[in-house]
Amino acid sequence: MAKVYNWQLGREMDYRLEEAHPDRQFAAVFNINRCIACQTCTMACKSTWTFSRGQEYMWWNNVESKPYGGYPHHWDVKLLEMLEKANPGGQKWDSSQRGDRSPYGTYNGQTIFEAAAATGDENAIGYLPTEEEWTGPNLYEDTPKGPAGVPGVYHTDGAQLPEHNTWFFYLQRICNHCTYPGCVSACPRNAIYKRPEDGIVLIDQERCRGYRKCVEQCPYKKAMYRPTTRVSEKCVGCYPRVEGSDPLTNGVPMETRCVATCVGKIRLQGLVKIENGDWAEDRFNPLYYLIRQERVALPLYPQFGTEPNIYYIPPRWVPRPYLRQMFGPGVDDAIERYTNPSRELLAVLQLFRTTQTIIFRYEIEDGELVSETEINGRTWQMYNDTIIGFDRDDNEVVRVSVDEGIIERGQQYQNSI
Amino acid sequence: MQSTTRWTVTAIIFAALATAIVLTLGDMRLASSQTVTLVAKQADAEVPLDDPFDGVWKGAGPIEAPLSGQLVIQPKGGGDRTVTARALHDNDRLYVLLEWQDDTEDLLVSSQTEFTDAVAVQFPVSEGESVPSFCMGDPTAPVNVWQWKGAWQNDIDEGYVGIDDAYPNALVDTYPFEDEDVFYPARSAGNIFAQTDRTTPVDNLLAGSFGTLTQADDQIVDGSGEWRDGSWRVLFARDLDSGEGYSRFSVNESTNVAFAVWDGAKNERNGIKSVSQFLTLTLSDEIADSGGGIEVWQIALIAIGVAALTGALAFRGWQRSKQQ
Ligand code: SF4
Ligand code: SF4
Repeated sequence: MAKVYNWQLGREMDYRLEEAHPDRQFAAVFNINRCIACQTCTMACKSTWTFSRGQEYMWWNNVESKPYGGYPHHWDVKLLEMLEKANPGGQKWDSSQRGDRSPYGTYNGQTIFEAAAATGDENAIGYLPTEEEWTGPNLYEDTPKGPAGVPGVYHTDGAQLPEHNTWFFYLQRICNHCTYPGCVSACPRNAIYKRPEDGIVLIDQERCRGYRKCVEQCPYKKAMYRPTTRVSEKCVGCYPRVEGSDPLTNGVPMETRCVATCVGKIRLQGLVKIENGDWAEDRFNPLYYLIRQERVALPLYPQFGTEPNIYYIPPRWVPRPYLRQMFGPGVDDAIERYTNPSRELLAVLQLFRTTQTIIFRYEIEDGELVSETEINGRTWQMYNDTIIGFDRDDNEVVRVSVDEGIIERGQQYQNSI
Repeated sequence: MQSTTRWTVTAIIFAALATAIVLTLGDMRLASSQTVTLVAKQADAEVPLDDPFDGVWKGAGPIEAPLSGQLVIQPKGGGDRTVTARALHDNDRLYVLLEWQDDTEDLLVSSQTEFTDAVAVQFPVSEGESVPSFCMGDPTAPVNVWQWKGAWQNDIDEGYVGIDDAYPNALVDTYPFEDEDVFYPARSAGNIFAQTDRTTPVDNLLAGSFGTLTQADDQIVDGSGEWRDGSWRVLFARDLDSGEGYSRFSVNESTNVAFAVWDGAKNERNGIKSVSQFLTLTLSDEIADSGGGIEVWQIALIAIGVAALTGALAFRGWQRSKQQ
């Protein structure tokens, strides 16, 4: 076991392989607050990558309704339970000290790797989902949480911020292209690798021998076994788009299919710069800004220890203990900042789904004050700032203002569709 | 000596002789093998590739190799098992026959949680060199691994098991580009796992340490396996010399050999296996004696005959002693 630094946990942790980092890391922000569960992302992925024999059950992208939904069923509850069994009552954070390399404080519990040390037989704890668990990918769709222990009854005063009594939310999931992937460390054949140029994690289809250790030890259950080719497959991060080799991209990095097609405009994906084993300060990269600077987007189950790279803006209405368990101790600050956004954050949020091209840098041009209101007892002002996004080669690819304006359809276009 | 005693002794000698004949011809072991050298004699008849139970194997002296769990590197697992090993050659090919107990025949890899029974033999690529067998070789001493899988045998015997066989009630509207290999990436990458027209149930692999096992360019190992009454018998066959890079065998020379067994029903795969130490494998120019094709029913007949004779002699002795 090597010691590696996991900034999401604010500490070193045990990992099978020596610490190594790509030049850039694939990362994305998913704004849970905006998702309408249309599953366009899901179908975009399916129609691109997983429409052939043996892939029927594969949903590299899926959107599940929390708290009950999950694909495979109850994947997260099962993992949390395994961690709890390995280290009863120990999955605690100390958030009193936070810093650049420990933005959420320090996690004092055990990761999936550390929890396996007790027996030493495996590199990480995990389980192989059954056939049944891989059915009904949207089971419990839109099923809300009611009063604890009273099935079938909902609160009549369900919808009051800051926390709804009756609640559910959509969780959008793809492979996290983790910094310390459970799948990579699980593979006894070293058939899974993290690309040095963008951190995308791929299963070598020539080397894989169908052992399904990755399926067992990916805590997010995003490696999947394909019975027709007898080997495992996983989300490929649409690498031909991300690396700009797909003819559609004109040689410039482009966002993945699930991101580019998002109807709810909840997704933004890009590549962050890595230096000296951590995210290099890249102040005007929208992902760096949202995740490391503004800390409005948080990793999913950081306690698993794989340093996942899909970051979520947590849903504002959900009881905080549930969210803290899912996204760590950064939840309260993130919701506060999202609810009451700064001028810059509001501008950056406009970038979501305005271009397919990956934005490497943004600039903001100040605009007029357009409205003033009160949020949670505080005055909040909205400026019509303009944000401009640039691609890898620093060419402008998008320009959008906070105030979209209202465009009225002219009389001559009425009923013209 | 009294006549009674004399007759009894005669009867005992006959009985012992009968037992010895039965044991020898029937290829049975009284106790576990006394040797850890597996000797491959020259077969006295053709060794059929599709029948691991063929009579020619009666001429191959079996040895028992103890296996234990792989507990060196994660994932760990497996347990104590015994493999009965036999070997023959015909001056062109080496044949290795492995037999071990397994209560279930696990042949499918078509569902998420099914794993196949498997067995492997490992040889150093260069004769005689050996590092601990469980290490899968080392960078200066690579190993050649032949792995037989029940699932591959099943593909050959029953035909490739696809989605329609595994999930006969599954309903799918359409599969676009169905015949294009590129949508079956393991297949288009040439991974032998993804073959749909398998010709051998044995994978030819090379390794130079943990985690380096790689399919060889040439899939040149033949074989077959059959599960009968709670045991597998698996035959491996390959040319004595298959060229540079693979283990070579020569008559009157020795090399090393190790075995590994996986039980699919226990989810065993990869490092979760039972392994033996390296044993010596010697190819001798002695001709094996498989008993000239004597069959079990013939052995039984001889045994019954001898027993009847013994009985008759004893009865005669008893009558005589009564008359005296
Ligand atoms: S989410 Fe799972 S499959 Fe994806 S990189 Fe992480 S451990 Fe591997
Ligand atoms: S396309 Fe966007 S809005 Fe629709 S389900 Fe996917 S993430 Fe949610």
